Parts: sequence; structure tokens; C-alpha cells
Amino acid sequence: MSITHDPRLALIPGPVHDRLTAQSRKLGWYGWAGYAAPSVLDSVEFEYFAMRNQAALFDVSPMHKYRIRGPQADAMLNRMMCRDIGKIREGRVGYTIWCDEEGFLIDDGTLFHLGADDWRLCCQEPMLAWLQDAAWGFDVAIEDESHAVAGLSLQGPTSFAVLEAAGLGQPDQKPFDLRRVEDDLMISRTGFTGDLGYELWTPWAQAGALWDRLWAAGAHLGLRAIGYEAMNIARIEAGFVTAGVDFQPIHGTERLHRGLTPFEMSMDWLVDFDKGHFNGRRALLAKRRSPRSRLLKVDVEGFKPARDALVYHNRRREVGHVTSAVWSPTAKRNIALAHVATPYADRVPGNLWAEIYTAEEGRWDRRMARLTPLKTAFFRPDRARATPPARH
Amino acid sequence: MTRVTHVVIGGGLNGLVAAALLARAGKSVCLLEQSPTLGGMAAPGPDGSARMAHLLYNLSPRVARDLGFAGGRWPLSMTELPSVSLSPEGAHVVVRGARATLADGTPHAQAAAFATLHGRLTRWGALLRHLAEAAPPGGLDGGALSMQGLRQMIRLGRVGLGLRGMGKPEMRAFLQALLSNAHDLILDELVDGPLAGLLAADAVRGAAAGPRSPGTVFSLIYRMGHGGAASVPKGGMGALIDAVAGVARAAGARVETGAKVARILVEGDRVTGVETETGETIGAKAVLVSPGAQVACALAGHRHFDIEATNRLRGIRARGTAAKINLTLDGTPEIPGLPADLLGARLVLAPSTEAVELAFNPSKYRRMSDAPVIEAVMPGLTDDGQPKAHLSAIVQYAPHDLEGGWSDAARDRLLKITLDRLAQVAPGLPARVTAAEVITPDRIAGETGVPGGHWHHAEMALDQLLALRPANGIGRYALGPKGLFLCGASAHPGGDLMGLAGLNAARAALEAAS
Repeated sequence: MSITHDPRLALIPGPVHDRLTAQSRKLGWYGWAGYAAPSVLDSVEFEYFAMRNQAALFDVSPMHKYRIRGPQADAMLNRMMCRDIGKIREGRVGYTIWCDEEGFLIDDGTLFHLGADDWRLCCQEPMLAWLQDAAWGFDVAIEDESHAVAGLSLQGPTSFAVLEAAGLGQPDQKPFDLRRVEDDLMISRTGFTGDLGYELWTPWAQAGALWDRLWAAGAHLGLRAIGYEAMNIARIEAGFVTAGVDFQPIHGTERLHRGLTPFEMSMDWLVDFDKGHFNGRRALLAKRRSPRSRLLKVDVEGFKPARDALVYHNRRREVGHVTSAVWSPTAKRNIALAHVATPYADRVPGNLWAEIYTAEEGRWDRRMARLTPLKTAFFRPDRARATPPARH
Repeated sequence: MTRVTHVVIGGGLNGLVAAALLARAGKSVCLLEQSPTLGGMAAPGPDGSARMAHLLYNLSPRVARDLGFAGGRWPLSMTELPSVSLSPEGAHVVVRGARATLADGTPHAQAAAFATLHGRLTRWGALLRHLAEAAPPGGLDGGALSMQGLRQMIRLGRVGLGLRGMGKPEMRAFLQALLSNAHDLILDELVDGPLAGLLAADAVRGAAAGPRSPGTVFSLIYRMGHGGAASVPKGGMGALIDAVAGVARAAGARVETGAKVARILVEGDRVTGVETETGETIGAKAVLVSPGAQVACALAGHRHFDIEATNRLRGIRARGTAAKINLTLDGTPEIPGLPADLLGARLVLAPSTEAVELAFNPSKYRRMSDAPVIEAVMPGLTDDGQPKAHLSAIVQYAPHDLEGGWSDAARDRLLKITLDRLAQVAPGLPARVTAAEVITPDRIAGETGVPGGHWHHAEMALDQLLALRPANGIGRYALGPKGLFLCGASAHPGGDLMGLAGLNAARAALEAAS
């Protein structure tokens, strides 16, 4: 491998890198699957509030994308995925998870039902080898489209208005609907923010032109380009998980038992035991009643984010840890996702505490913040699901 | 739709043993064999001759006992054959048990060294038999307190005690040799020549390995599990198959030939029966599959197996290297230097360890040996029940994946090479051949359904033995959906016509049903 192409040593520009560079005043880049991706372009606050109050454009091209095609594509995917993919109709997108034979989560992602026997899987982790293993014995062809298909995520309350101004509006498009609006452009009403939003999929070489088209259309609708940090606040507010942060993808672990089952991720609804066999089903049947921990959405007392905090029961017994934490500017709450060991995760809530360290002008202190488990996402506005969507 | 409790796919020795034992345990059993004849790789030819397998080494007394034969003995009259290692130079070596002589009766120069080596291998074989006979260790779900767990602990303990009982020097030698190659072990004791070649050939029969390949000491010891003596049953292999099939039928099992299974039916992660190619559906609670895990997976459908499991199935090495050549002769051939009364012996053409390794080399590159290793018998000379002038030969190496494929021309070439090779010790033999049948691994695969046409259904290598046979995670007979079992030689403890894989599989199926 030549040094210039080793992603550990150098990042490569994504399909809209020049557009992002033009917007980047912070020059804050990080590596995402080998690509230079913006962590912040301007300021996290500006970007976050643009996303929640206007519209934000985020390049998701570094996501891994795989095409699964062939007469047995449905059967192959149903054996791989924990949920019944038969329920994802043509022209729809489904959130899905998949496990190894021991029932530990490999990754999560979105599955696009493009047509009869034709699917695309979008996920965070490289998955080509696993898909090829999963395809053995089935009449399907797997194609890695990671570097062929670019994706732009347009999110926020005015996102529909931006699309409309760009001549791409589809007022009757429901959440998780997938539309081919032009020959080389597909739009799905999906996103990672929990708000009204769309993801636009186009050939790699045409991503720049698409960006310019949206940029021009969004000029008067408050459209802003954003980086990962703003997006990360939004996804925690929406209660979405990130691979490598809220769970360790099992193929990336070397120590025993570091994997997590869907039940431990509180993703019970994504597992369908009635659809026939799927990978890990036998192990999951045995493990469904005995999760070692649960991922909880918690409201944290105070306003200091409980980042990396340990979780205690009754202030004494260590029973878990926080995986993601942030002050939610929209919910005006201090929120977190936390893995808490059973049975403490199942008991009447109220006696769980996060140990938060504070540093004030060189003096470190420690305090216990009460955690209040919540059932639903921190941010879940009705406008996210309204069809036709509002324009403001 | 017919309903039974157990369907057995494949009517080879192991399939028949499994069917017979299940039927004797009161289960309703249906055995389906795709070919018109029972026996699988031990199926006799139309004239009663040995079509594929022609000798018995390790036929298990435990199987005979469980099948309920009187006195726990196989109801077969077996003739133990001496082994003759043929030398193109004429100094043929005769081996009877631990005793090596020359064909003229004079002692072999290395008789003492051979006796020592033979004794050691036999002792080691007896020790490993504790491991070989029962289901492989592991899966102690019930803990050491359950009956099954306790039995397993005792068995493992016996191996441990046996090791200690050897004394320190021999234990060290055993552990040192166990994983190494046959070539080194043999030549540590013997000068290379026909006597060493005989052991080398026995270490690699049917394997995609040469005597220098690691793990071949283990396969040699395995062969010595019951002393390493080769026998022919009176009436041929058919007599053995008839005996077991007789037990199965007497116990009420339905045994059908010419019945090819098209699909194994699965509902709700549980086997529900099979569908034959003629469209007949047979409902069952459990299905036992002889030809191997890949076949079971393909018949049931890949979607019923975990991805890691199919991955391991793909990795099972089953590359057949042994071809079978049956020659019809117009009279008994002569072998210069070999007394006529030894023509009925097990004749091995492996002039040296080196020669066996050289025969193996081309097979690595998908080519057949130019000077193959041959094991030949003429059972008709010792058994009136079999055709008189029939020479049955296992010819190595003739790889399943031969470059260019097994065309008629390739088969003719293998036959010519084999006859030329035999002519080196029996010059008059080729002229006596009136008919020849060349059964290459592709044909073995086609006729029996065994992957790769492998002599032992799956390579008998260290990474495919015991709880790893045929692959990690399916070493205890059950695989995939509930009620699906392996019962053939690809399961522990492997091939060689022992019947133990079938016995252990039947026990696993009975345990699962109770």
C-alpha cells in the first residue's frame, strides 16, 4: 500500500470537499471511513440551530453503501437481518440491525428497497466481506457502492421548502418513503436528526452539482452546511445510537463478551422471532430473557453533560456507564444514553446516579447527578412526521 | 404423506447403523438410499466384488454389541490378511502384525525396529480409542454432575491416566510425535524402503496429504486403533451391509433404495421431514444425513443456518485423492518373488516413504501421480463367495479437482499409469486384464453424494477431528435447525468403516428426542 493512500496517514477528499472547504472557517476535519469530513465548519451552535430552526446540509457520502440484487435477495437479507424485511415494501426504507451467530450486534443501518429483488444497505461499518459470507448459497450479487453513490443529508424544518425551491419537492412523500425524482437522483425521507429531513442519493461525480443546486435554492431559507458535532447533538436528542460509541460492533472486538444483544441495546422491536430463521436467532432466543444490561435514555440532573460518566445505583454500587451525553439546547435538558446492568435497569427508576467530574478554574470536583430514565426520545416533534410537510 | 420419527439419508454403513439402532430403540425409521444398492462406499458390485472400499480395519465391536448381534460379535467370518509391501526389485516384505519378514520367509533386517515401532503405534492407538469411540468431548451443558458429563469426565480421565501409565519417556515420545509427520516418525526407526513405505502409505490412505504432511502420525495411529490388521469379510462387503440392513429391517425400519431426497423440510426452526425427488413427502421429527454437512445444508436450505456455520461448512476440506480401479482378469496373475499363497494378501505398492511423498506431489497441483501408490487385494483368492479373478485397487493420488477435469481420456490415462505401475512387480498382469472399471473421485462423489468423493468424507486432519469434525460448532452431530444430525464418516470419529459415527449420531438423536 502506498503511503499516500493509507487512510491512517492521509485523508482523501469526499465528493463535495471543495464546497465544504469554502464553508469551513474552523478548518476542523476528522477522518470518516478514510474521507476528510468536517467536525465543525463554523461554530457548533450556529450549525445546530440552523438544523433545528432552518435547514442544514451534511455530507453523508462516507457511509458504506452496498447493493444487493438477485432472485434470492429478499431471502438472503431476511436471513441476515433481525427484523422481517418482507415488511419493507418497494420504495420504502427500513432501519435494521444484524447480529452474529451469538446474537451480538454487528452493526445497524438503513435498508433501501429500490425495486423487485433490488436493495441497498447503508451502514457505518465496512460490511462487504460479511455480506459476501451471508450471500453464499443464495442467488444474489453484492456490489460495494460506497465510492459510487454520494449522499447529502438535508435536515430541518425548512428542508422541504429547500427541496421545493430546487424543483425537487414531493409533498406526498411520507417518512421512510424513497423516490426516484430524476434519472440520477433518489430522495428518501430519512435522516439522523429525528426531525423533518431528507437524504439525497446521486452518482459520486454529480454530488457537487446537486450541492450547488440545493445551496442556491436554500439561500433564502436559512440553509447552512454543518459538521459532525452539530449532527451528533441532534442524534442524541433523537435517541439514535452510533456504532463504536453506544455499542461495540462485535466484529471489531477481540475480548470475549464485549458484544451486545439487541435486547441489551433496547432494540427488542427490531427482532422478529416469527419470521423464520435469521442469523443469531437461536442464540437470541436463549438470551432474550436475560439481558446483562440495557441501554437507557436518561435525563441527567444539572446541566453538566455526563460524558464518560460511570453510573451508580444508590450512589454506591457501580452498575454501568454513560455512552453519549450532551446538553440538549432544544429540549432544554441534560440528556444521555447509558448502559445500566440488569436488574438495576429494570427496577423502578430513581435511584440511578452518574458520577460527574467538574473542573472549575483548575479545581476538580465530583458530584452525583440523579438519572431519570425516559421511555421516548428527547426530541420528537410532530413536524417530523407530518405529510405533506410544513415549509417553515 | 408417510410419517415416521426418524429419516436417515444415505444407506452406507453409518447410515444403516444409525437406522438400525434407532429402530431397535423403538423409533419408526425410514432410510433412503439414492443408488439402487445399499452400502455407499462399501456397496458391492453386481458380481459381489468390492466396488469401492475393499478392506475392514476398525469395524467397531461396540457397534456389533449395540446392534444386538449374538455374543456382541459381528456375524461375519473375517479373514485377516497379511500385508505385503511389493518391491520392484523383488525383495517383497511380508508383515503379519508386528512381525516383518521377507517373502521367502527369512527375517527382515529391520524386524526388531519395526516390532518396536508397531508396538508403540498400537499402544498409542488403544489409548486414543477412548477418545475416538464415544462422541467427542465438549458440550458439557449438564456439568460434571450429569450422567453424560460424568461419563465424559471418566473417559477423559482414562486417557490422562493412560498417558501417565506409559511412563515419562514414552509419554514424551507420544506427545512429541502426535502432531508431527509420519515420514519423520517412520524414518527415525527404519531405513527407507518397502517396509517404511508400507507404513507411510497406510498413514495417508485416502488423504490429501503426503507422509511429510503434519498430522499424518495421528492418522497412522488412528488406523492402528484395533491393531492395524486388515480383514476381508466372507462374502465381501455386501455381507457386512446385509447384516446391518437385516438388523434395521428386523427392527421395523423401512429401508429404500433408489430414493433420492430433494429437500429436507424445515418449519419453525425444526426439521419436519423430507421430500424425495419423486415428490413423496415423509414427515419426521429428525433427519440424519450421511453424506455430510454441506449436503445437509444444501438440502435443508442455507437460510436455516447461521452465516458463521455456512462459513465453516465452506471451509471443510474434502478433496478426494483416491481412485478405485477394479480389474477383471482371465486368471491369477503371478508376482515374481512372491509365493502364490501370498497373492491373496493385502498388496501395497509403496516402495519407500519418499516414493509416497513423490506420488503425492503432483496432486497438490491438481495432477495425477505418474507413479501412484496402490493398495490391491484379490479377495476371490481367499473367499469362495467372491469372484475369483478380480483385482481391487485403491490408487493414489488422483485428485478430485484434476486439471482439465476427469474426461474419459484422463481415466484411461490413470488406468494405463496404474497398469504400468503394477507391471513393475507383476509383468504379466496387464495382459490378463479383460475388463477395467475406473472409479475416480468425481464418480465416487456422483454415486454416493460424498463431497469431493473423499475416501473419509472429509479430510482426517487435526483441525477436522474430534469436536472439530467436520467443523467447529457441529462436532456433536447436531447442526442447524432442531432435529438435523450428521451420521456419516464426515462426523467424528470418521471413516474407515467403523460404524461409530452412525452409532454416536443415533445416540445424539435419541438423546435430543428424550
